Parts: sequence; C-alpha cells; structure tokens
Amino acid sequence: MASVPLSYNLRSLLVRRGATLLTVLSIAATVAVLAGVLCLQQGFATMQAEHGRDDLAVFLRPGANSEGESGMDLERAQILLKETPEVQKGTDGKPLAAAEMFLAVSLPKIDGGQTNVPIRGVQPATFAIHGDALKIIAGRNLTPGTDEIIVGTAIAERIQNCRIGDQLVLNVTPFQVVGIFEARGSYRCELWGDVDRMQHALQSPNFNRILAKLEPGRKAADLNERLKDDVRTPAKVQTEREYLIAQTGKLSGLLQFIGWFLAVVMGIAAVFTGTNAMLASIGARTREVGILLATGFRPFAVFRSFLFEAATLGLLGGLVGCVLVLPLDGMQTGTTNFDTFTDVAFAFRFTPRVLITAVVFALLLGLVGGALPALRAARLLPTQALRRT
Amino acid sequence: MPIRLLFRNLRAHPIRALLTAGSVAVAVFLVCILDATVRGFTAAVDLAAQNRLVVMSNVSLFVNLPLAYQQKISQVPGIAQTCKFQWFGGSFKQKKGGFFAQFAVDPENFQTTYPEVGIVDGSYEDFRRRRDGCVIGKDLAAQYGWKVGDTVPLVSALYPRGRDGEEAWTFNVCAVYEARVRSLDQMTMYFDHAYLMEALDLGAAQGQKGVGTYSIKLADGARAETVMAEVDALFAGGPQRVKTTTEAEFNRQFVSMMGNVPLLLRSIGGGVLFAIFFAVLNTMMMAGRERTRDVGIMKALGFSGGSIAALLVVEALLLALAGAGIGALLAKGVEGPVARVVSMWAPGFAIDDRVLLQGLSIAAVVGLVSGMLPGLRAARLLPVHALRQEA
Repeated sequence: MASVPLSYNLRSLLVRRGATLLTVLSIAATVAVLAGVLCLQQGFATMQAEHGRDDLAVFLRPGANSEGESGMDLERAQILLKETPEVQKGTDGKPLAAAEMFLAVSLPKIDGGQTNVPIRGVQPATFAIHGDALKIIAGRNLTPGTDEIIVGTAIAERIQNCRIGDQLVLNVTPFQVVGIFEARGSYRCELWGDVDRMQHALQSPNFNRILAKLEPGRKAADLNERLKDDVRTPAKVQTEREYLIAQTGKLSGLLQFIGWFLAVVMGIAAVFTGTNAMLASIGARTREVGILLATGFRPFAVFRSFLFEAATLGLLGGLVGCVLVLPLDGMQTGTTNFDTFTDVAFAFRFTPRVLITAVVFALLLGLVGGALPALRAARLLPTQALRRT
Repeated sequence: MPIRLLFRNLRAHPIRALLTAGSVAVAVFLVCILDATVRGFTAAVDLAAQNRLVVMSNVSLFVNLPLAYQQKISQVPGIAQTCKFQWFGGSFKQKKGGFFAQFAVDPENFQTTYPEVGIVDGSYEDFRRRRDGCVIGKDLAAQYGWKVGDTVPLVSALYPRGRDGEEAWTFNVCAVYEARVRSLDQMTMYFDHAYLMEALDLGAAQGQKGVGTYSIKLADGARAETVMAEVDALFAGGPQRVKTTTEAEFNRQFVSMMGNVPLLLRSIGGGVLFAIFFAVLNTMMMAGRERTRDVGIMKALGFSGGSIAALLVVEALLLALAGAGIGALLAKGVEGPVARVVSMWAPGFAIDDRVLLQGLSIAAVVGLVSGMLPGLRAARLLPVHALRQEA
C-alpha cells in the first residue's frame, strides 16, 4: 500500500504556520506545566536517593517512620551503641555508631516567613562515620561538649542568623555558630550541635536515632530481623538510603498528584484545541484529500498521513514545552518535606525521565486530537471531496 | 448588528464551537480550583478568631510543654479558658492512605474555647464522660463510614503501642461535628488528652508526655498584647520558654511552611490562561479567515467595518462565556470531594461567588481579545480583495 509522502504533511504545517504555531503553543503550555512539576519532584527524590549510603544503618524505634517520630532513652541507646557486633570499629577501637537527637526548629527565612529547620545533636562518632563526605568550608568544626553549632551550606543561604559568629538561643541556652559545612544530600539543610548540650538545653533526655557504619558484608536487613523483636532493645533498622527514600513519599506523591492532575485536565483542553486545528486544516484541504483518494491512495493511508501530521504537532508542542522548562534546571528552591515537617532545599532537575514523560505525553495529545479529523478525512468520498470548493 | 447571522455563524461549525467552548470550560474549571486552593491556604489566617491565643514552645512546635504549665497560664488575668492540644499522628491502617488529623484536647474546655465546632450528631456529654471517647468531623465520618457508637482503631507512629509499634489505640465515636466557620475543616478527630497520658503512665504506649500547645480564650475586654507578654514572662527564665501568639499568627506559620507552593499554583494558573487564550484565538482566527468572502459581501452591501468586527467579537464572547459557565458549574459540582482531599493543606477551600466571578471575568476578557484580533482584520478588508479570495 502506497503511503502519502511525509513531506506533504510537513509542508502543509509550514504553509499554515500561524495555526500550527497556536496549536503547538497550547500543547507546549500543557506539557510545560507537567514537566515543570516533575522537575521539582525529580530534584527532590533524586537528591534523597543519590546521597543515601548503603553501608550506613539507621536505627529507629519500632513503628516510627522518621527521626521526629522516633525516640529512645539513654539506656537503650547505650546498649545499641556498645553491643551491636555488626557495627564496624573505628581506628580508635570504638564502634562507628552515634546516638543522635533530631528536632525541627522554627526559624525565620531570609526572604521572609518562618520555616522548620532540622537541628541535629551529634556525637564525635557522627563525624567519623561521615568521613570525607563532610567538609568544613568556613570557620571551624564544633568542639564536643560546648555550646557551639555548625550549619549546613543550604541553611546559611536561606535562614537568618546562621552566619559564623551569630547566636541561636534554644530555651535559655545560647549556641554560637562557629562553622559552615558541606555534606551529602539533605544534611546540607541541617544545623548540628553537640548532642549532650542540646539535650540539656531542650530539657529532653531522649535520642531520636542511631547512625552506624556496618562491617563490610553485614546487611541492615539482617540486623533489622535480629532486633525488631528483641526483648531489651527492639529497633527498626534500615540502610541510610532506604531511610532517606522513605522520607520522600508524601512530598513526591503530592507533587506527582499535582502534576498529573493538571496535565490531564489541561490535556483535555489541548486535545480539543488540536482537534479543532486539524479539522480546520483538513477542511481547507478537502480538495487535496479528494485528489489523494482519486489518485489511488487508500483511505487508511490518508488516515495515517493526517495522524502523522497531528503527531508532529504534538511532538513539536512537547519539545517547545521542554525548552520552556529547561531554564528551571538547576534552579534552587525549597519547600517543606511533609514526612519530616522540615524545610528542604533542592534544585529543579530536568532528568531524562522528565523529557521522555513530557514528549510521550505530548505525542499522545497530538494523536488523540488528530484521530477524529483524520478519520473524517479518510471517510470522504473522492467525488464529493473534489466537488467541494 | 445582524443577530440571526451571528447565530448562524456559531452553528456553522458545531463541532468547532463545542470544542472551543469545551476548552474554555476546562480552563475556567482549573482556574477556579487553583484559585480556591490558594485562597484556602490563607483562610485559616484570614478567618482566625480574634479572641484566641496559642502558647507553644519557644524552640519548636515539636517540643512538648510541661503539663504543669496549664495551671500557671490559667492564672494570668484576662484569660477565660485554656485548652490542651496535642498532635497524635495516628493512621487508620485498614484503609490505604488512611491518614487524617487527630488532636488530644481537654473535653471540659474544648467546646467553650472552640464554639465553631458544632455538634450535629451524638452527644458532647458522652464525650466528656467517656475516657476513650472522641468527636469526629462530618466529612471524616462520611469518608470512612463511621457513626456514633463505632470503635475506631488507630496506629500512631508518635505514640506506638506494643513491641512492634503496630498495636492499635481504640477510640469510641461519641459525637460528630460540623464547622460553623469556613476555616475549620471537617476531617479532624478530637479526643481526651487524659486518655493519652493514662496510657503513657501505665506503660501501655511509648512516647513523650506533655502538651503540644495550649489554646487560650481571652476574657471579654482583655488585651491580647498584654496577655501574650505576661504568659511569655511566666516562663522566661526557663526551663522551657514559651512563645504566645495570636491564632492568626500561629496559623500563618503553616501557610509559610508551604513555601513556594502558592506561587507555583498561581503560575500554573497563569499558564492555563495562556493556553486557553491561544485556543480561543485559534478558533476565532479560523472563523475570521473562512469568512473573508462573507465579509466582502457584507461590506459590499453596506455594513460598516465596526459592525462586522462586532459580529466576530460577540461570537467569541458568547463562545467563551458559554464555556466558562460550564466550567464554573463543573467546579461547583466537585467542590465537596475536592475540599475533602485538600482539607489538610487548604481547610478554607470553597468555590464561592468571588472565585466564580473571577473565572467568568477572565473568560470574558479572553473572548473579547480573541474576537478583536480577527475582527479588526475583517474591518479593514477591502471588499474587492475579499470577494476575489477563494473561500
């Protein structure tokens, strides 16, 4: 079966460039909204997943899903710190395990409004566990046992009173900012201080989690199996990567919901527009369709030809939409992570997945919009079509 | 202006008219929903009670205050009532995504502090008597099919029971409330704070004792600023300092937590408008182009350029308004279900007259402008050129 030359469709689009442009733009706007929201979701989710480590284990109270919900008293924490043989020993012979405190503190943002900033009480072992991934880029590290804190790079840029020399008061205890640190993923969005001093300032004897480096070959899942029903120290153990990914569910879900809800609703409008444009464009070419049919092209070939034209419109719309959101790539933004209720800073990320999703969606919009007009064209009788002026 | 011609033109391409009106309908629907959501975020601030204050830890919303603070706060002059508030963080595991807000409160003082919680079923008296009693919102009751007398099992990550933390707390539904102000959602459960403390004391559950926030109802004529300063001064020397704010200010921090989300939604709304503008413009340009010959004939017959342009403008306006009407009706139709979905973030979500009016006026402007462009072109056409053109 002979196919209608593709150049026929491409030239037709070019001839009617005004209408083509308007259709492409309306598809592009729809695709841009979807792609923009997906870039936001990808930026957040990939930051958490990429920066989580598999050789680190996070211990929480059974039933807790996040540090904020978790809690363990000093006694349990001490047992876990000292009597977990799966944990690797440091150069000083002590286990590479740290009991940490975690709290979301309400602080004023530099660009106005309040937000919840995660504050973490750490032990010297915390630094040994993070190793070279954690760097002090300005000032110096905190001295254990003192009321000093260091702030993550993302915090220094977003939150007031977080420069070196500034003071942060927790209840009645002032803490001095002495340094700024760069670290993996969401640690960049945290304030760190000595855990004992913080517990004292906050009048709270509890720890929120234990972070530990496992001996090579040991798995967090096995440790979880052993400890989840332990009589003395029941605990839920995950790798750090699993833990961080588990903290993305609510915000990722919300963003994906917003993106797809908007894309589907706007997609309906875009399909209407596409159908309209193709109907008008084919209507104006009724005679040409008649000629095609009269010269022996089968109705199916005509159908396929116009569907190809509609798909091209969709593809162009998809590409323009992607070009529109491309400048967002790398742009820093922040919102609240609803799993931890704390502020998290991340960048929009235009990943290949966003590109593929956006282009496929745009193609689909073009195809659905083109189906009815193409069918109408294929069903024309050559004699009638040729007679039409 | 020839009215009959106007309607004939509209009917000449029924599919096209329908699709254009349809895309306007979709856009107006979306703009209404987005606008109502953004307004819903701030409703809790705009409609906050003037005579209520909230006491929270000076450090963080997630630090509990000692139980003993209530007694001291109540003695500050100008305070009529105080009520405990504690976030429970429970979820109903029997249903996927069974997450909603629960707060532990003082049954004795809750109703007098929050008169907008209107009991519509069951009895508040029962709630005060039963230790494990709870009051639930009308929408919550509808969504889960709970009624007065039912037992509700909830698992809390903040207050786990059992060794694996998966054992459920049970609550007895004593009453169902409806909101008497728009800013209050109908998806929340309130239960007795003493029930929570008792379980912690007995070791039946784990978690920290204390109170998340205290709500204060001011006495008539009391000055908020004075009371706020006095309450803060009570605990200025520690061990736990407090921050007392107006209810509006307290609610504002949750809005501010949304960060750029309202801005994001607004810019999406802008994108939607952009898209429909192109859709309607496209249709009207097509209509204008097809009618070049008609325009020539009308001009030759003596119709003025103005009335020919008006014909296209009114046609576009009618199309846009018809679509907008459908869109507005659709938005109003889904108001209830959407309000339930977004109640956690935007408790004040409502498709009210202001939202609808805005949607309709935007559509009218889009219609006017997109009729004007081909209209002007038609008005300027020379009849000889127009008649010569092949349709």
